[in-house]
Amino acid sequence: MSVVDVSVAELSSARDLAVSDALRKLALVWTDFEARLEATPLIRKLTRGRFELADYQNFLINLRQQVKDGSLWMSRAASSIDEQHLELRSTLMKHAVTEHRDFRMLEADYVAAGGTLSAIQNAKKNIGSEALSGWMFNEASQRNPFGLLGAMFIIEGLGSIKAQEWGKLAHDRLGLPKDAFNFLLYHGENDAEHMREFEEMLALVLPDEQVAERIVTCAKVVARLYVMQIEEIAA
Amino acid sequence: MQHANRDAVLRDAYITGSGVFLPGDPVANDRIEDFIGRVGGRASSIGPRALRWNGIRTRHYALTPQGEPLHSNASMSAKAVQAALADAGLGRENLQMLATATTQGDYLVPGHASAVHGELGGAPLELASFQSVCASSLMALKAATASVRTGEHECAAIVAGEFSSRWFRPGFYENTALLDGKGRLTMEADFLRFTLSDGAGALVLEDKPRRDRTCLRIEWIDLTSLAGSYDPCMWAGAPQALRADMMQAWSHAGPKASHANGAIALLQDFALLKVIIRAWIGVYLQKVDSGRIVPEQVDWLLFHYSARSLRQEIVDILQSTRAMIPEEKWFTTLPDTGNIGAASIFVMLDALVKSGKVNPGERILCVVPESGRAMVGFVMLEMVAGASFT
Repeated sequence: MSVVDVSVAELSSARDLAVSDALRKLALVWTDFEARLEATPLIRKLTRGRFELADYQNFLINLRQQVKDGSLWMSRAASSIDEQHLELRSTLMKHAVTEHRDFRMLEADYVAAGGTLSAIQNAKKNIGSEALSGWMFNEASQRNPFGLLGAMFIIEGLGSIKAQEWGKLAHDRLGLPKDAFNFLLYHGENDAEHMREFEEMLALVLPDEQVAERIVTCAKVVARLYVMQIEEIAA
Repeated sequence: MQHANRDAVLRDAYITGSGVFLPGDPVANDRIEDFIGRVGGRASSIGPRALRWNGIRTRHYALTPQGEPLHSNASMSAKAVQAALADAGLGRENLQMLATATTQGDYLVPGHASAVHGELGGAPLELASFQSVCASSLMALKAATASVRTGEHECAAIVAGEFSSRWFRPGFYENTALLDGKGRLTMEADFLRFTLSDGAGALVLEDKPRRDRTCLRIEWIDLTSLAGSYDPCMWAGAPQALRADMMQAWSHAGPKASHANGAIALLQDFALLKVIIRAWIGVYLQKVDSGRIVPEQVDWLLFHYSARSLRQEIVDILQSTRAMIPEEKWFTTLPDTGNIGAASIFVMLDALVKSGKVNPGERILCVVPESGRAMVGFVMLEMVAGASFT
């Protein structure tokens, strides 16, 4: 094995270690986040069988405002990434394109659940969504905002882990047709694929202790602000 | 019995013997309902699904096929203690403390430990009686360990016993709200009937290692409850819709009304279980992250849960975070002894030690998750060689 081979092997093993370390810390942020979500009044209603149509409509209204901003901060983040990290920039841009119409699905679900289009389109952001969105755009405007990978971990986790769970509970409880639950039930499929993609993104910016720490910090901030957003949804 | 010295140094505690009592012959999957009965006279449609999920092939019941009890929880627990004392080369007269664990004892009052001491007979004992679900086993082990380590006792026994099958007989479900319009038992109630079974497992704890053979040194025991964040997930005492409101507990409604509204049977919320599995994994990952558990330094894993019940997403997370303990290090008796609730971990430990597979210096990690209200416990053990005569 040549000297070059050795250093390549060492580099890739250091990268693997850094990626699994970051993932472990992110998984811990996630479980804390999930426990906090369970304790919010809206999710308590859902899990305790007290969830009403008005709760679901409110939920959709409030999600829409945040989902609409999701691809926008991702685009902003992509535009803040320098030319040394074009691969990551491409990935973020692709993500933004994939998701930038998702809020339309929420609007359709809302109408299928008996609401009017103008009501969901004209609703204001709640203060949790305000804080979440404002913070995201600020972070995305920094040079090389790699910490936002932590934000993506939380937001994607909501899609792949919580959305279906909530969708099933709401569907069972409310007895509305399935087409009122498209966003929650069918939006976050293909877990394993997402996870692999996320690991690849981490490998583009790690190992780097400061970046790793920022990723975990951003995940924590987003988790807290997201909980605040859910707390603010009251029927 | 000696009193602890204020300046005493903590001693090590060693598991010097173990014993198991499994009632009757192993019962195969196709005979389960011959013992626990058929609700409304009909075979369960949920049973086969439950068995595919939990992977259990045989289990033991302390009932005759007619549903008559052959034992009590206390008598099975006492037999396991006697077996463990015999394995340790000791007798009832050496015992100073008894710590017991169960999900549901034979009586409502007093505690299970009193019933087991009654069965064992003999001289006065210090008792500790723990009631929860699976993790009650580790509460009992921790209490006994603390007593031995602080020098309050030289010899303690820990026993966990379960007699779940009696609660699964049709009388607990028929004429209750747990049956749907067609007379079928709800999934929340029926699933557990094909998951839990009977038996007891016991350990003997001493302040000195054995001279004649290997024994297990207790490195540490950690128990974490997340009940502050989660509603009950496996419970008896309230119907599902009311389970988070303790003012609606069965004891307030009275026995007849509670039976009718399905509050007496053991129930499980499967949607919440998925969330709680992730919460358990979170506690485990925290221990890996802080260095309390180093996966590469674990030689044997006794996980009171079947590997096949863990969804692929969980295995993926464990692997991608370098927290997975490879499956060849897992040891279980679950497929053959069934899930015996609190007793399972001691039954598995007994089988692992007696298999002769564990060498001195190897470390055993026991993980006991309890879905009751989101709890999980861990024990780290080290196999030590027999102490030399000096």
